[in-house]
Amino acid sequence: MNPTIELNGLEVQLGNRTILHGLTGVLKSRAIGLLGPNGAGKSTLINTLLGFHSPSKGSARVLGLDSHANGKALRSLVGYMPENDAFISKMSGVRFVRYMAEVSGLPPDQAMERAHEAFVYVGLGEARYRPVGTYSLGMKQLAKFAQAIAHGPKVLILDEPTNGMDPPARKRLIELIREIREASDICLLLSSHLLRDVEETCDEVLILRNGQIASICNLVEERRANRKFLELETIGAEATFRSTLEGLGCECAVFSNGRIKVVMPENIEIREVFRVAADKGVQIRRMNHRRDSLEDIFLNAMEQTGAADGRI
Amino acid sequence: MAVYKRRYNPYSGSLTPEWSRFFVLTRYAFGDLFKSRFFVILLILSLVPILLFASYIFVANNKTVQLLMQVRSADLFKVEAQYFVIIMTVQTQAAFLLNCWVGPVLIAGDLTNGALPLFLSRPFSRADYVLGKFAVLGLLLSAVTWVPCLLLFTLQSGLAKGGWIWSHLWMVVPIVLCSAIWILMLSLLSLAVSAWVKLRIVATGVIFISFFIPAGLGEMFNAIMSTKWGILLNFSYLFRLILEKGFHERTGQLGRGWDEIPVPAAWGVLIFVCLLSLVILNARLRARETVRG
Repeated sequence: MNPTIELNGLEVQLGNRTILHGLTGVLKSRAIGLLGPNGAGKSTLINTLLGFHSPSKGSARVLGLDSHANGKALRSLVGYMPENDAFISKMSGVRFVRYMAEVSGLPPDQAMERAHEAFVYVGLGEARYRPVGTYSLGMKQLAKFAQAIAHGPKVLILDEPTNGMDPPARKRLIELIREIREASDICLLLSSHLLRDVEETCDEVLILRNGQIASICNLVEERRANRKFLELETIGAEATFRSTLEGLGCECAVFSNGRIKVVMPENIEIREVFRVAADKGVQIRRMNHRRDSLEDIFLNAMEQTGAADGRI
Repeated sequence: MAVYKRRYNPYSGSLTPEWSRFFVLTRYAFGDLFKSRFFVILLILSLVPILLFASYIFVANNKTVQLLMQVRSADLFKVEAQYFVIIMTVQTQAAFLLNCWVGPVLIAGDLTNGALPLFLSRPFSRADYVLGKFAVLGLLLSAVTWVPCLLLFTLQSGLAKGGWIWSHLWMVVPIVLCSAIWILMLSLLSLAVSAWVKLRIVATGVIFISFFIPAGLGEMFNAIMSTKWGILLNFSYLFRLILEKGFHERTGQLGRGWDEIPVPAAWGVLIFVCLLSLVILNARLRARETVRG
């Protein structure tokens, strides 16, 4: 099976500036997040995948199709929701989505049906006959999302989809994205500044920094690897407590003031920690059960001067 | 993704042929145009002269009506090449006015709110996009220029006797060719203006200016340099020259240019304007702006 995205020394120049510097990497997951600070090259990468920019060196492939050589074939698989305003203000919402579906190749009657369905699906059913220009910012985002899914694409590219949305609307859109991902074999590429959006919807993350790959991280594996990560604050016999936990297969790091970090193996439950503490007469004053968040991964990638192979 | 189920289903139905998708733009543009009452009135007014021309042809070929009208001179109703030059002149002016109303909004509406990336992120090229928009003007302007003109030609051929059609068949070529270059130039020019200027009123003004300012500059150039070549900046004049030369009819409105400006030069200038418009469209119709740094 073809990887979702394959970058082979991809370099993109706009004017005299090099925006993407020889990106190389393979992303195999069905839901890929694109992260990076402003100016890292996220939008340029998306535009290159869509064939809007030609690579000056190297190549980019989506589902095995070269973004430059097979641009038209690739775009026939894509539903794209751009970051900026993108609509026809005087058209009613449903006509706008129908129009875009017809341009994608749907026959008029099918396009009409799918446009209505997409509008109701994203929660804008009541507003579908109003001109898009009169929509609020959040509604415009949903209308853009509706036009991206109406023609039933195989690859959904979302550039900052939750921009300008209030928390309930954002939550609803994230739920829709997850639902679409789970209900079909659609591949998702989501670029966002909100780490939580990416964390909630994606399986793999590509982090860009200054036009280079800072890291490629498989969130599924990361979650699995750090399933039991405890931060403890204890009073009592720390040394024996620690050695007993290590005897059970845990990895421990002891800090000042009785703080201990414990990475627990698969077969050890948290109740074991309480049992050992009770046996050794150790008081557990505070316990924080957490895993490496995407924020930790992102900050770690931003601090690194250069990942060896781009993977962490 | 049925409405009542509120869940997403991928599309697995049939697709329209890729080559025909440019016409979706044309269809939607016509849909929007015919919502405007002003446009419908303008279109009807552009076709009114055709009825008058047709009536003239009917009278010219009907002796009974001429007797009823007490027309004594046989030359008063004469349908020859000069008559078709007049028809073409009137209808191309009507086409110009229609173009000034329709052209400026065709692309500007998509560019104002950044809809272009939505078109170009689909299996749809910039050439398809321009073709779709051009077809709007092409069909509309054809409907008021060469199509009615050929219908009038057919009417005259049917009513006239003595093999009129065979002796005048050559006129089909200038009717089609002159209309084609005028439609091509007007359409591409207004699309290029529409891609630059977003406000309709300003864009309409720019289209008018692009005809009158160069013509004025050309006259100044002629006066200062004591030459005739400045007239090449007067596009209306060049079209008129092509039209009259095509029909081999001198109406006397062209002055000295009739003899002094070669027809290939006139064609060359009009084609150059078309190419320039295409260059502007190529520069403006991008999915993304590239900031030169």
